[in-house]
Amino acid sequence: MMKKLLLITALGLSFAFAGSVAPADNAQYQKECASCHFGYQPALLSKASWEKVMGNLSDHFGTDASLGKVESEQILSYLVSNAGSGKITANNSTMQITKSPYFIKEHRKIPAKFIEQKEVNSIANCLACHTTADKGNYSERAIVIPNYGRWE
Amino acid sequence: MKKTVCFILLTFTLLNAKEFNTPMKTYMEGLSTEAKAANPSFSGFDAKRGETLFVSKHTGKKGGEMSCTTCHSTNLKNGGQNVNTNKPITALAPSVNPTRLTDVAEVEKWLRRNFNDVFAREGVALEKGDVLTYIINQ
Repeated sequence: MMKKLLLITALGLSFAFAGSVAPADNAQYQKECASCHFGYQPALLSKASWEKVMGNLSDHFGTDASLGKVESEQILSYLVSNAGSGKITANNSTMQITKSPYFIKEHRKIPAKFIEQKEVNSIANCLACHTTADKGNYSERAIVIPNYGRWE
Repeated sequence: MKKTVCFILLTFTLLNAKEFNTPMKTYMEGLSTEAKAANPSFSGFDAKRGETLFVSKHTGKKGGEMSCTTCHSTNLKNGGQNVNTNKPITALAPSVNPTRLTDVAEVEKWLRRNFNDVFAREGVALEKGDVLTYIINQ
């Protein structure tokens, strides 16, 4: 019985995403990481990816995001213990959420001009279009593209 | 006479310069000692030099042209915006954002990161002290 439950839970997790992830609710992560960019939820990357990210913060996508040893270890621990294992992280061992095959598939129909406009600036700027991204909700219904409106 | 001049100068300085809190004063004294060790003719930090540094343009860590104002804007009483991510940055000026320049660890962290991003190297004591003196007076 217990085994079956575990199996079901594991299956459920491996297919998980369906437009929503647990919000990034760690105050230290919010302060140190989300002061510069959107607070990507830990479930959007795998444990291996977060280890890579946190392993070289002094050259973080071309900028210096270095932290003290203690803060760095605490944040890594939060990220890996909440890392993703589902659809969104499948076949992505890079440091970028936007390199996940699932992410690419979901964004393939978006015209470049939507991304390139100054209100968005980068495909990594989740909150620019996903109005409830900070709550971990990426559902299509909550998409509003700046200067263009709803995504239908 | 000398005493009077000193007193007037001191009063003038106190009236004009904004105050750092005690931990920040200790940090500034450390920078001062370092600056003096690097250059014996060092005679104190200067807001004007700090401002020049703040607006000066450099080839940044990413290879493009950067200055502190790229993200913080030229009026420190206004907020800025992270040039890479679009994330808003709250105003640097302590007169409108009193939490600025109050936490030594935060100040050290951002000076380290931002000097690297803008100048592609760490700042020296003179530069850090000048820039902090400029910001505290905003």
